[in-house]
Amino acid sequence: MLNRLAKSAIALAFSATAALAQSYPSDTITLIVPYSPGGNGDITSRFIADQASDIMGVNFVVENRAGGGAFIGINSCANADPDGYTICFISTSPITVRPHVIEAPYDPMTDLTYLGQFMLSKQPVIVRNDGKYNSIEDVIAFAKENPGQLRWSAAVPRGGPHLATEAMFRAEGAKTTFLPSKGGAVELANLLSGTIDLAVISDYGPALDNGEIKILAETSPGRNPQAPDAPNLGELGYPLELASFFALAAPAGLPDEVIATWDDTLKQITESEQFNTLMERIKAEGAYLNSADFTARVQGDFEAMGEATDEYGLAN
Amino acid sequence: MDSVLAGVQLALTWQSIGAVLLGLIAGQLLGAIPGLTATMTVALLIPYTYYLDPWVGIPMLIGMFKGSLFGSSITAILVRTPGTPAAAATVMDGYPLAQQGKGEKACKMALYSSVFGDSFSDIVLIFGASFLAAIALNFGPAEYTLLVAFSLLTMGFVSGAKVWKGLFAMLLGMLLGIIGLDPVTASPRMTMGFLEMEEGIGLIPMLIGFLAVAEVLRQMEYPRKHLATSTVSFSSDPADRRVSWPEFKSCLPVLFKSSSLGTAVGALPGISATVAAFLAYNEAKRSSRHPEKFGKGALEGIAAPESANNAVSGANLIPLMAFGIPGDIAAALILSALLIQGITPGPVVFRDNPEPIFAIFTALLLANLLNLIFGHVLIKVARRVVGVPKRILFPVVLVIAAAGAYAMRGSVFDIQLVFLFGLLGWGLTKMGFPTVPLLIGFILMPILESNLRISMLIAGSVPNPFGYFFARPAFVILLVVMALMLVLVLRRVLKDRQAARAAGLGSG
Repeated sequence: MLNRLAKSAIALAFSATAALAQSYPSDTITLIVPYSPGGNGDITSRFIADQASDIMGVNFVVENRAGGGAFIGINSCANADPDGYTICFISTSPITVRPHVIEAPYDPMTDLTYLGQFMLSKQPVIVRNDGKYNSIEDVIAFAKENPGQLRWSAAVPRGGPHLATEAMFRAEGAKTTFLPSKGGAVELANLLSGTIDLAVISDYGPALDNGEIKILAETSPGRNPQAPDAPNLGELGYPLELASFFALAAPAGLPDEVIATWDDTLKQITESEQFNTLMERIKAEGAYLNSADFTARVQGDFEAMGEATDEYGLAN
Repeated sequence: MDSVLAGVQLALTWQSIGAVLLGLIAGQLLGAIPGLTATMTVALLIPYTYYLDPWVGIPMLIGMFKGSLFGSSITAILVRTPGTPAAAATVMDGYPLAQQGKGEKACKMALYSSVFGDSFSDIVLIFGASFLAAIALNFGPAEYTLLVAFSLLTMGFVSGAKVWKGLFAMLLGMLLGIIGLDPVTASPRMTMGFLEMEEGIGLIPMLIGFLAVAEVLRQMEYPRKHLATSTVSFSSDPADRRVSWPEFKSCLPVLFKSSSLGTAVGALPGISATVAAFLAYNEAKRSSRHPEKFGKGALEGIAAPESANNAVSGANLIPLMAFGIPGDIAAALILSALLIQGITPGPVVFRDNPEPIFAIFTALLLANLLNLIFGHVLIKVARRVVGVPKRILFPVVLVIAAAGAYAMRGSVFDIQLVFLFGLLGWGLTKMGFPTVPLLIGFILMPILESNLRISMLIAGSVPNPFGYFFARPAFVILLVVMALMLVLVLRRVLKDRQAARAAGLGSG
């Protein structure tokens, strides 16, 4: 009896030390979402957390820390311990775009480790489906003939899609009127009512299915699967096309082991059938990039955006 | 007809009914806790609806939204703490009624008004969605500007207190409302360097601070003995515990008017239930024959905001069903849940495959019925809870207020704001400044500013701005109606003043 007790005690002691030295992850992981609950970023983050929890066998806590255009949540992630137990959701705007326009509390190039990308959202240039404009050339022609009369909007003012489209107009020397936005839904209503003639938004799915709108071009790299005939801005020879990514990041200085674990996990999740069904339904594109490739993309986009803000005078 | 029946059947399985009920009860309870709004809870639940049958997940969300709007009114009435911003206007007459021992009457009036507003807008949605949505599209930035400017104009005059005090409170609210990113240039403005203020002052910390914390501070002025009593004593007179038919009947005109207003506001994307509640309250008071009773426990003062804020929730689905455009966050969340299930709302689905739409309609009506039944249970429970002595209840309210403000976006800054606004609200009330104009100014200012500035940008983009605006039928009609109403309001203000002077009570 005593013998058995001693044995189990020893076994217990061993397992305890084993747990301490156990490889990542062995404890609850906090995923910070720098936006309020409800948007696509929040929905997909929670989905990723749920799936990653199954794969890694640890609990996830999803924390919404919204405010300051996502600067606050990402900053708290950048300042956390780089142990892999605090990570955050990131999207394009607070990483590669807004830091060029507004001072950010962190440096996207040095303060974060990029864990990997799981999704690209499409940000098409859309118009009413009433036959007035059938191509980007039509839009440019109208804008050049009637300076300032083309009214348009983008869901995120000074976000990537806005700036890419603005760079297109400036490259053509076309003068337009940009109306600041109150979000994608309101802009869609404004487009249908004729308040604006052109919009760059990501939540266009229902309106497209209902035949109310038409896609003229895509502001991110690659074509839009919803409108395979519409070119993207790069193909048309315009200076900017920016990927609107959904991805995960962590504080700088993360151990290689943690990065490798996340490379595997994200790959598994993005290959699952459930993930692909979700992507299809929210009209997004599942697009996996591992940490190394994604870091390269962020660096490239960050530099391109920096040059563009200087060259086209897009900064405030 | 077959598709109607098929749709109704989808939503009348026992799983769906159970889901509505579960959502409703959860919504009522969560709604009663400030900060834990239904919007937030639903947002947290959405990813999981992916794994659920659509006709379990969606009815549950619908139940939750409807339940929370009523649940939040109960705390607004009994402890002056609106569970969600939409119930803030209910505080104005609900809390005084509760203080008179008529808390149960007030809660029941809120329940009947909620269900009335819900049913009204659901019926409009079912029969007139595409028609109303087409009208709503005529409302552009110029029309929004007119609407909001008019609401602010009349507000100052009917606030009840001295006109200058009402105007001052409103302007202070408007000043607070412009803090944040400039709507056109997107550069920070009046944020005093706080990153947390870039998106403006949160409505929830502002409301909780101004209403709940200010009230706790006010109560702390009383002697200690007073704190052993319970906050809300309930009268045992049966007449104070229910809403009689004549009382309900006298509120009917207000109910119809406020529900129509709420439905109209809900059909316009981008204006919230909170705005509708305040507008309805203001209008009920303006058109009342005895406006002096408002703010002291008038049943119409509950009927108006409660029916209006609930009417918004159904009407928010109008642009969603007609064009696939969500009217507010609640509708956007329902849209997400539908999209995750592979259902795209809009005219196409109406034509080709309308069963899901009719199932949603059924769930909406079912939720109203269940809300009416289980609302009574919640009132009974709430009665017990608030029966504890003040010295226990008030600290609990403070803790919940702080936790609720924090929960919204996980920010300690918001807790500090709650107490800051608590002090400000307490101080202003002490000096006799009315609270309503301040809150309305705060809520409406961002809408006014962005729409006015966008209208100006539009004016600059058209060759003939006057021609552009005056060619818009909605703009012209609104302008005429508002000019007429303004004349009426001014005449009334003058008349009141003459009457007061004649009675030798000359008011400032």
